[in-house]
Amino acid sequence: MAGVVAAPAGQAGLAAAPARGLPADSTPWLLLAPATLALVILFLLPIGYVLLLSVTDPAVSIAHYRRIFSVPLYTRVLFNTFTTALTVTGVCLLLGYPVAYVMARRSDWVSTALLICVAVCFWTGFIVRTYAWLVILGNKGPVVAVYQAFGFGAPPRLLFTTFSSILGMVHILLPYMVLALYSVMKKIDPNLLRASASLGARPAASFRAVYLPLTLPGVVNGSILVFTICLGFFITPILLGTPKDMMISQLINQQIEELLAWGFASAVAVVLLVATSIVLAVYNRFAGLDRLWG
Amino acid sequence: MASKSRYPITRRRLLKTGGTVAAGAVLGPLLLTERTIAQSRTVYVNTWGGSWTAAEEAAFFKPFTDATGIRVRTVAPVSYAKLKAQVQSGTYEWDITAINQSDWLRAEREGFVEPIDWTVVQKDKLFPDAVFANGIAYCALGTNLCYRKDKFPNGGPKSWADFWDVKKFPGNRSLYNNAPRSVLYALLADGVPHDKVYPLDVDRAFKKLDQIKPHIKVWWTQGNQSQQLIRDGEIDMMAIWNARASELAEQGVPVELVWNGAHVGITMWGVAKGAPNRKLAWEFIQFAVQAKPQAEFCNRLFYGPTNPKAYEFVKPEIAKQMPTWPENAKQTIVANVEWEAANSASLQERFTQWLAS
Repeated sequence: MAGVVAAPAGQAGLAAAPARGLPADSTPWLLLAPATLALVILFLLPIGYVLLLSVTDPAVSIAHYRRIFSVPLYTRVLFNTFTTALTVTGVCLLLGYPVAYVMARRSDWVSTALLICVAVCFWTGFIVRTYAWLVILGNKGPVVAVYQAFGFGAPPRLLFTTFSSILGMVHILLPYMVLALYSVMKKIDPNLLRASASLGARPAASFRAVYLPLTLPGVVNGSILVFTICLGFFITPILLGTPKDMMISQLINQQIEELLAWGFASAVAVVLLVATSIVLAVYNRFAGLDRLWG
Repeated sequence: MASKSRYPITRRRLLKTGGTVAAGAVLGPLLLTERTIAQSRTVYVNTWGGSWTAAEEAAFFKPFTDATGIRVRTVAPVSYAKLKAQVQSGTYEWDITAINQSDWLRAEREGFVEPIDWTVVQKDKLFPDAVFANGIAYCALGTNLCYRKDKFPNGGPKSWADFWDVKKFPGNRSLYNNAPRSVLYALLADGVPHDKVYPLDVDRAFKKLDQIKPHIKVWWTQGNQSQQLIRDGEIDMMAIWNARASELAEQGVPVELVWNGAHVGITMWGVAKGAPNRKLAWEFIQFAVQAKPQAEFCNRLFYGPTNPKAYEFVKPEIAKQMPTWPENAKQTIVANVEWEAANSASLQERFTQWLAS
């Protein structure tokens, strides 16, 4: 009630309100309260608990962190996790942009067909899709059959390589990128491109000067989505890649599930969280995360 | 009028009837609850799902419910971490789990294991060496060398030394992504006799593992994955769980299982510390380790019975495929769980680092 009553008063005296030490308009804050509370309980508290575990389980010390930075395994796998996530994001962007472009610019059956393809991909479980690649790239699969039908001889090794691991992850994450780009592209007014053309810009110039900048929020949104989801991947690299493609979450999982070393697992998770935050902070410094919201 | 006099609604009668109804309303739920408890004596078992749970259903769950009226509910998959989580949080999803002996030993040392209730479990009904670390032996799981017969028409590898011999036995190789087992195989390949292999000489093993590393196409992590690799001919020889290989042979895949140098681990039945249905849980476990149910399980899934009497009920052609069958047991190596439990964390770290570099 107080919030509702305060609302008009706040609007009336916007400048005066801070002087009284009261929020200028408390209604939005009250409306935000349930979501904030949920975030605190479901998100901040667990993260706080993980942080606490990392320095208290089994004893109060920073030994876990010392181990992470003294045993080469952890920093190496952490570095690999970030380079892999970056590569997957880059490939997703290169492949996803043209698809989203066609989907957004056309309004006939092509657009619908593409949207269905992306959605079906999106809804199929990632384990199923990973096992599908085992068959497709396997030595009894279609790729090898086509290769041999053309008489190229022994096919190159496709499965259990970094290539197949990246391919599998790109396939799983591509729909996120396409949908993020599509939602932004669909909102771009086609008249802007016509205006640019009428002012004498060739299609390439129009695209570069008008269309591309307008799609940047989608690019940022999709990239961050793909990048952060990819950081947590590990089943696909295990099944399709080599042990060198190991991701950090595999190590965290191993510590939790096989060794019951929750303190150490928490410390690795905290290092991953901090490293991710640093990457996003650097990104924000140069590109601006506020573009996420268009 | 007559009817009116037969059922006169007097004040006394109204009070009496009302009182009965009220008493019924208050006591009814209590009675109902008590009966519900009696009916729903249920025990919750953590299990692997798939063919494992199907075999358990037929061998243990159904006969147990038929005999005792206690119902069995399953939760899949088996999670070692959940054992710790349940005990620490005091919230239980299941009472019973089945995990390998060295993990069980570590759990017992950390206090996540309910002590055996000897008022329920009868010692004289157990077979020798059944009890270990407050768990009761369930079955034996072999991780064997296995190869495709069609790839080696003149005879395949017969030992880990052969597996390491890439000149004599060319072909695609795969190993289980598991530190203690890989280290064991390397030492056997390097010529360490079976009875001297524990405690594992880790430094020597890694030198030997270096030799085979470039020839290992896949380090598998999941049972399905291992089967798919050899079924599709992606791999010609590998380490695989014995029942998984037998399953492939039944499906007509030309695989040969080698018992020489196989790693054998015992899976334990055990109860989570403080589990709400622990009495029923021990009753179930006592039932499940008897000869007949163990044999029924092994007839369906080829992991060896731990109760020697079970062989009286195992089909002869199946018995020969069991890790605990005397002919096989002579050639296998039963895991030294004390060593595995004490060294698993550091060994796993070293192994993972070795794999990733």
